Amino acid sequence: MNAAARSLLARALIVLLMAVTLLPFLSMFSAALAPSGTYPNGLEWPSDPQWINFVKAFEVANMGELLKSSALIVLGVVPVSVLIATMAGYGLAKLTSNRYKWLYLVFVAGLTLPFEAVITPLYYEVRALGLLNTRFAIILPLIGLYMPFSVYWMRAHFLNVPNDLTEAAQLDGATRWDEFWKVQVPLARPAIMSLMILLFLWTWNQFLLPVVLVRDPLQRTMAGALGAFQGQWGTDVPLLCAGSLLILAPTIILFLIFQRQFVAALMQGAVKG
Amino acid sequence: MAGLELRDIRKSYGNVEVIKGVDLAISHGEFVVFVGPSGCGKSTLLRMIAGLEDITAGDIFIGDTLVNDVEARDRGVAMVFQSYALYPHMSVYDNVGFALKLAKTDKEVRDKKIREVARVLQMEELLERKPAQLSGGQRQRVAIGRAIVRDPDVFLFDEPLSNLDAALRVDMRMELSRLHQDLDATMIYVTHDQIEAMTLADKIVVLDGGIVQQVGSPLELYNRPANLFVAGFIGSPKMNFLPVEVAAAANDSVIVAGSALDSTELARPIAGIARADKLTLGLRPQAFVASKAGIRGKVELVERLGHETIVRVRLKDGSDIMAVLQGQSDVMPGDAIGLGFDHKDVHLFGKDGARL
Repeated sequence: MNAAARSLLARALIVLLMAVTLLPFLSMFSAALAPSGTYPNGLEWPSDPQWINFVKAFEVANMGELLKSSALIVLGVVPVSVLIATMAGYGLAKLTSNRYKWLYLVFVAGLTLPFEAVITPLYYEVRALGLLNTRFAIILPLIGLYMPFSVYWMRAHFLNVPNDLTEAAQLDGATRWDEFWKVQVPLARPAIMSLMILLFLWTWNQFLLPVVLVRDPLQRTMAGALGAFQGQWGTDVPLLCAGSLLILAPTIILFLIFQRQFVAALMQGAVKG
Repeated sequence: MAGLELRDIRKSYGNVEVIKGVDLAISHGEFVVFVGPSGCGKSTLLRMIAGLEDITAGDIFIGDTLVNDVEARDRGVAMVFQSYALYPHMSVYDNVGFALKLAKTDKEVRDKKIREVARVLQMEELLERKPAQLSGGQRQRVAIGRAIVRDPDVFLFDEPLSNLDAALRVDMRMELSRLHQDLDATMIYVTHDQIEAMTLADKIVVLDGGIVQQVGSPLELYNRPANLFVAGFIGSPKMNFLPVEVAAAANDSVIVAGSALDSTELARPIAGIARADKLTLGLRPQAFVASKAGIRGKVELVERLGHETIVRVRLKDGSDIMAVLQGQSDVMPGDAIGLGFDHKDVHLFGKDGARL
């Protein structure tokens, strides 16, 4: 195969991959425009697009309230998680002597824990704390559940910071605390940004935890609002699709704004910076 | 400003002892260079003085203060790292001023000091730049500036020039020399480059295997190396060593001979040797002159540097020696050559490697 043919094949494969990725969205979009209460197949453009479905979905699911609730949850989870993970990552990468390196393995073990496996014990624990049906029932467990990955992420970053910088700061008269805030954190900004974006996404899209731990739909995340379209007798597919797209919108907007950081986040560790 | 004293300093990693008892006194204002091959412990020793590495045993005094348990930041030392270790997110101005900021120095005083240092190091126009926008030499300057601005008791340099190209290294070397004079500061400098050691030092400390081999001025080390290691390490090309046996030893002279060396009489008294002792004879390549007499061999390789000609000569016993002939010699590979030398230039080392 010559170079031109190879490049053509590569392009074709990329186009195919894009189509496969985009198809569910397009399908959802076409279904969202079908008349409410029908069962569209999602593969054809509706003859009479019902743009009003988006407005209806927004109202039915009380999206305005949910947007606020989601934002509150994200604000409760992300900054705290990032702060704790950054400090723990620094501690594990720079302050831990060889004797205590195994501590890090405890966090790695957390990565292997399937989320669904802890949901039942979590329910009883949250109930015992008297937090059931409050946003804290979502915020506190999420902070805990994010720790293994977040600490792992930040530790990996701090391991790559040359020790010379730490030592230079010490000789410049910095305490550990000075060094952390004035040297390490500014240098960790890309890693912190990436982590914030990832945690935002995961929190925003959180479905199971809010549904199990919080009964009031208005205290859940937006993804939890999808339940509003599921009636006892049937599901309103066009409204469900319209609602899903509305829920996706903030993350897509965020993605478009922070595209570069997203890619950097995914590429982190791939090449030596 | 202050001197420094090390008393029986030791360092072990697990069961491996890397610094095996170093005693050293450095007076105020001295420029001391630690030199030795990779892994000899010179950087470890420097880091122990800085407080970046714990010491296993012994005492370190800076001035009159025992600093064994004093944190690095409170020791009053400043260090220039091989990697420069500039803070990448700060401008040159902030890099230089970081220590002052941490010390909560008044903003105006700080600004004055930073600009003064920038003036001394001729980097005033670089102050607003980030380290990534600087060349290697400029980064080095900033790293030095960061050390100077704190006005420390002792300056520590860890192979600061090894990342620079040859021409820049010569410039920076002179600059460091000038700085040492201007600041009248105690400086300790680690390098594996003996030219740096010879040109900068008031006092050289040669280390090998975690042990101090010799302490002395550059010329003392060159003229009277204490043992085979120092003899081979200081000087370039390195000293030639020939195995010899004592043929006769009298009160005021000794006659030695070897497989590549005819009977040679050294007219100086040497204590503690007897007939048939096996010794090592050392001759610097620069000690030779082309002559009919002396050591004979065949020219293997010629390097013509213009002001001198470096010749590798194969001797009759199959070993090679290096000779540096002054000026532009016309010897060619394959030529037979005789290398004469003055007996005063001969170094003799005993079986244990120590100078006789």
